[in-house]
Amino acid sequence: MPRQKENGKGIPDELELARDILDQQVVDREETKMGRVDGLVLELREGRPPRIDHIEMGAVVLARRLSPRLERWVDGWRRRFGVRKVARYKAPWSDVQELTSYHLKLDVGALDTPTFDWERWLRDHVIQHIPRPLKGNGEEGEKKE
Amino acid sequence: MKKAATLALGILTSVGGFFDVGNLATAAQAGGVFRLQLLWPLLLGTLLVIFLVEMSGRFAAVTRQALPDAIRTHLGFATWLVPFLVLSLVHFLVLGAEIGGICFALHLVTGLPTPVWALPVAALVWLFLWRASFSAIENSTSLLGLLTLAFVVAAWQHRPPTGQILAGMLPTLPHHDPARYWFIAVSLLGAVISPYMFYFYSSGAVEDKWDDSYIGVNRGVSVIGMGFGSLISVGAIVVAAVVLAPRGIQVDDYHQAALMLTTAFPFWGFVLFAASMAIACLGAATEVALSMAYATAQTYGWNWGEDLDPREDARFCLMYTGAILGSALLILFGVDPLKLTLLTMAVNAAVLPFVAIPFLLLMNDRKLLKEHRNGWISNTVTLVVVVLSIVLAIVSIPLLIQGGS
Amino acid sequence: MKTVHFELLLGRKVHDSEGRRVGRILEVHAEPEGKDCVVREYLLGTAALLTRLGISAERLLGLPVHREPVRVPWDQMDLSDPERPRLRCSVEELTRNK
Repeated sequence: MPRQKENGKGIPDELELARDILDQQVVDREETKMGRVDGLVLELREGRPPRIDHIEMGAVVLARRLSPRLERWVDGWRRRFGVRKVARYKAPWSDVQELTSYHLKLDVGALDTPTFDWERWLRDHVIQHIPRPLKGNGEEGEKKE
Repeated sequence: MKKAATLALGILTSVGGFFDVGNLATAAQAGGVFRLQLLWPLLLGTLLVIFLVEMSGRFAAVTRQALPDAIRTHLGFATWLVPFLVLSLVHFLVLGAEIGGICFALHLVTGLPTPVWALPVAALVWLFLWRASFSAIENSTSLLGLLTLAFVVAAWQHRPPTGQILAGMLPTLPHHDPARYWFIAVSLLGAVISPYMFYFYSSGAVEDKWDDSYIGVNRGVSVIGMGFGSLISVGAIVVAAVVLAPRGIQVDDYHQAALMLTTAFPFWGFVLFAASMAIACLGAATEVALSMAYATAQTYGWNWGEDLDPREDARFCLMYTGAILGSALLILFGVDPLKLTLLTMAVNAAVLPFVAIPFLLLMNDRKLLKEHRNGWISNTVTLVVVVLSIVLAIVSIPLLIQGGS
Repeated sequence: MKTVHFELLLGRKVHDSEGRRVGRILEVHAEPEGKDCVVREYLLGTAALLTRLGISAERLLGLPVHREPVRVPWDQMDLSDPERPRLRCSVEELTRNK
């Protein structure tokens, strides 16, 4: 990845959208992994170059990349059985704090976003009821660098 | 000291990924039917797998990314989806075969039917993953894995003919049963080059927080770790050739394979065989289950890690839980572990292109790996793997039908 | 606000102003500009894929290929119908401007 400009953010001064952004691992400000860049939306502007508006995350966004029919099917399942209330989590470009070759960091807390709906539901309804091991304790775990 | 301990990852990968139920079964068959003539696929596989394991470790050390993670990022979701789904299905079957192996070992010792053990064994494997941290899994499995050296000791005691061993290291045409010969040769390769090993090893390197300074260590770990697995497999072929072949035992059943160690160790032979098999399969089962969870979590970007509290990566934990439970059902419903194993090894060989081609692409990415990208030697080996894997993919299924039974 | 999904644009065939096929969009270059990040050019053709993967075919296979991707500046790409991207000029004009 090219050297970084003094733009106040950890964003390189040359970006390749398919290589660097689409499908990249998304982490929150604590570096908890929260999903991937499943979609990337550009705004087309009259007389000015298109700009990145937001990134999208969610199973329906992925399904859409394969076929619109699959998207409708996945969304139907989500409505009926899903835990997730919002199909697409949209993070505006202004939330992007840092972009490296291995992650894209958003200035949000993963637990407060719909991307963690399933994680939260499983934790509260399943994991909570099984005696847990004495590992993690949050001391190492999340920070990997 | 910390870097010396990384050898544990190599040995674990090797005990689980190299010498597993697939290797044991194919080695017993190879030795039983063709004596020492089929040592060469094993050695060829070892050479290739050392290179591939080295590459996956180097990749993780330089980029801080495990392979499935990097494949999704750099090759894109649509390209990765089909290989990912196919490999997940194959790994599900492999996991079933490994759990079946443990169940059979317990059956051998207790006399209770194999399917009875399916659920207790699944619970044991699950508990191991649920409770233990990554380093605990590494250390205990690699230590217990040393037990499989029993095959090498047994081989040594039989004083095998050195000339024939050396002759078996060079490819030759079969004197009888050509379909069977090639089927076993392909299965041996499939058993040695198991796709999940690379996903596991690179994820393990990320779990162990490797960086550029591990590149040298990684090279040693790949050679020693895979060399260890290879040594055990050679031992198993030699023992099968010396013990089973003269008695005309062709190993259509694991019970026959269990005779392997009884000549060298008349009293302890059965137990030693059962214990080695159980350990090798337990190592492999944890490795396959974790590998499935790693690949899925990385594909979708979920939080993952064996050192996290399960509350922090619920989806990752439930992934391996489901995989273990589901594949144990295969054994519970009476699928024959040996048949399942031989089937999955041939299928392993068939899906190798899905593993080999991403390797070739990622390991040459100059923006990611810079000066650590593949040189011409590694690239030549990878190209050989790609070509070989495509040939294997084409021949393995017809051979399965012709030579499998 | 007119938007386009980049993930769906990727891999689409592009035709030039005279209806001739130019290649598929396989990579897009962008730059930060203030708080925004704006598109500079679209890369078309197989060579663009190799650029994206950071691979040189020459190094990998020993083939003496030096193909450059077709680079389309942002103002020459008409995305008003994202399913059928078109150039605002012909291929010749595109290469002549370089």
